[in-house]
Amino acid sequence: MKGIKLTDVLKKYTMVIALILVLIFFYITTGGKILYAQNINNLISQNAYVFVLAAGMLLCILTGGNIDLACGSVVCFAGGLGAVMLDRDMNVWFAVIAMLVCGTIIGIWQGFWIAYFKVPPFIATLSGMYAFRGLSNVLLQGYTVGIRNTTFLNVFGGGADCYIPDFMGSANFNTTCMVIGIGIAAIYVIVVLRNRISAKANGYEVEALPSVIVKSVIICAVVIWLFYKLANYKGIPTSLIWIALVLLVYSYITTKTTMGRYLYAVGGNEKATVLSGIDSRKVYFFAYINMGLMAGLGGILTVARATQAQPTFGQGYEMDAIAACFIGGASAYGGEGNIFGVIIGAVLMGVINQGMSIMGTDANYQKVVKGLVLLFAIIFDVMSNKKKK
Amino acid sequence: MKNANVAEVLKKNAMLIVLVLVYIYFTARTGGQMFQPLNFNALITQNAYVYILATGMLVCMLTGGNIDLSCGSFVCFMGAVGGIMMVVKGWNPIVSILLMLVVGIVYGCLLGFLIAYVNVPPWIATLAGYLAFRGWGTKLLSANSTTGSIAPLPDSFLNTFSGKVFSTGVGKMNIPCLVAGIVACVIVFVASIMSRANKVKKGYEADSLLTVLARSVIASAAIMLFAYKLGLAGGIPTALIWVVVIVLIYSFVTSKTIMGRYFYTIGGNAEATRLSGIDTKMIMFVAYLNMAVLTVITSYVVMARFQSANSTAGTNYEMDAIAACVVGGVSAYGGSGKVLGMVIGATLIGVINLGMSLTGVDANWQKVVKGIVLLAAVVFDIVASKKNATR
Repeated sequence: MKGIKLTDVLKKYTMVIALILVLIFFYITTGGKILYAQNINNLISQNAYVFVLAAGMLLCILTGGNIDLACGSVVCFAGGLGAVMLDRDMNVWFAVIAMLVCGTIIGIWQGFWIAYFKVPPFIATLSGMYAFRGLSNVLLQGYTVGIRNTTFLNVFGGGADCYIPDFMGSANFNTTCMVIGIGIAAIYVIVVLRNRISAKANGYEVEALPSVIVKSVIICAVVIWLFYKLANYKGIPTSLIWIALVLLVYSYITTKTTMGRYLYAVGGNEKATVLSGIDSRKVYFFAYINMGLMAGLGGILTVARATQAQPTFGQGYEMDAIAACFIGGASAYGGEGNIFGVIIGAVLMGVINQGMSIMGTDANYQKVVKGLVLLFAIIFDVMSNKKKK
Repeated sequence: MKNANVAEVLKKNAMLIVLVLVYIYFTARTGGQMFQPLNFNALITQNAYVYILATGMLVCMLTGGNIDLSCGSFVCFMGAVGGIMMVVKGWNPIVSILLMLVVGIVYGCLLGFLIAYVNVPPWIATLAGYLAFRGWGTKLLSANSTTGSIAPLPDSFLNTFSGKVFSTGVGKMNIPCLVAGIVACVIVFVASIMSRANKVKKGYEADSLLTVLARSVIASAAIMLFAYKLGLAGGIPTALIWVVVIVLIYSFVTSKTIMGRYFYTIGGNAEATRLSGIDTKMIMFVAYLNMAVLTVITSYVVMARFQSANSTAGTNYEMDAIAACVVGGVSAYGGSGKVLGMVIGATLIGVINLGMSLTGVDANWQKVVKGIVLLAAVVFDIVASKKNATR
């Protein structure tokens, strides 16, 4: 009995275990550098786009393994648009809204063809991948456009001061950051307990108390450890706020809203969903508009982090996002996957990205490794699904 | 009745008419430059890769709208492998060519296995290859040369895959080229009349003799125009021979062989095909293995044309191949599409490519135009087949 349980746990958390193993691997090969406070901070800032794009990609994948190959190019185009606007000294918030709107309009364009004309998503978005890459080049005229606007950089996680300022404490330790970390852990525990009590009151089945406690302790420990590390460097990077916001919103949308349920339903069995009176076209449309919006936000975070826009930005980002989803257990055939998995997947991609750059791995080999990681994640997913059936 | 007929003919040959219109447009825009013998030659040699890759892509797409995103990167990777074998290691070109083919077959088997037997969705499996082979190929090239490109390739290799057959000077009429054109015309006439006679004999419905003759005359005129222009440009490009051989073989395979029918039936209804006892997995496997082999042949032609192996080779080729198929009427959902349609699609893509570079359109806008052409072709295909379905 106990043995079976252990294998179940192992299976359920395979990717978490994989993440830990990969971390240990890079910890050894980089001589511990990967867990330096500064590197953890960089890991979050540099891979913010993975989290954001993967959240958008998850919704598309849920509808039936559909993807958006264009999002990397859209990141570049939306980011480039903002950079050009800021370069002409336009209002920051106007530029930010323009980038988000730009992403959303592209999402509407692609979603329209995919949802209402049944153009296969990979072809519609492949077309967008080329078109928007070309347009980005036209927009930036092949040059790098720098961003000097400090408000923009500070708010979206770029430059030297993109951290939440410390209101209290000393020079070397960001106390605000630590307090926030402890606060989050406390809120997590309270939410878990409340959910458990209300589930029990409603007569639902609940998990055994020891396993809940173990899980909460682990999660709280990870959160507190993370914030301790961040506090040791400069504090909470502002990009983390955006990541957290996106993840919370999407976690809510996918688990608690009708639209969220529809996404799973369409991916699980489209015909049955349509026959039960749900307009599947609207669901696809929603997923792709939303992907466009996330690509817009991804563009903002990317150009802010780099403090410039280049026509080559965003190349291969679609790959990172897709890989994060599949590593996180989203099914390549749709209907399965959740935000928690995406977090694990995105962190894993982030660790691989970061680890390889600390090790000084050639950029070309990085591509090879990422391609292989994607392939293994998908093979693992397909194989484990086959066994279930 | 007569009117309905015209509309029908127009619809059936929509892409051919678009091709002619686009061609006339670019000829007018370039002040007739597009019609010069040298540009006929360029149209063939610059776009040979589109025809060969699109042939492989066609087979993949027939099986259900499946594509191969990795073929462009694989062309680059194979170029690097071939360059290292022939230039860096100095191996015999024939041995190298065969070894490259073996590498392609290994990749094709791996890809086919993953897609057919492990059920990995094709676009993910090939997306992984798209990224990995570009990185690996670039790495191999930069590790083996200071400039990121490997040259010079041996002459015997270059002559097999590029240059001209029985080459003569530009401006003089090349007789072998003209003769080949005339022979091709005769074959077209004989083949179409024999095929009609055969149909009539077996009691199948056949087009009227007049239609068959008209079609043959138009086809012959096009062939002779090409032969004449290519003759003036110095002879038949070697790449054209490769393209024609491959197109003819696949035209035969897809329309006359059992395997060919299987590709269509799987794309039409995979479940029904499987239930009628056909090994659908095997067919998918063959489609991707075949794609990899044709990609290797493409890499020979591309290397020979650029006279080197370099890291930008093959960029966006997958896009051109997919677009050629979709423009040529291959369904994005599989099950329908012909090699002849693909040839028209590939030529259209080639004409657009060449026309844009002759008119000096910026490379970035070219990307935009290509993206839009791809989308427009799919939408056209879907709208057209929807109308057919409702009727």
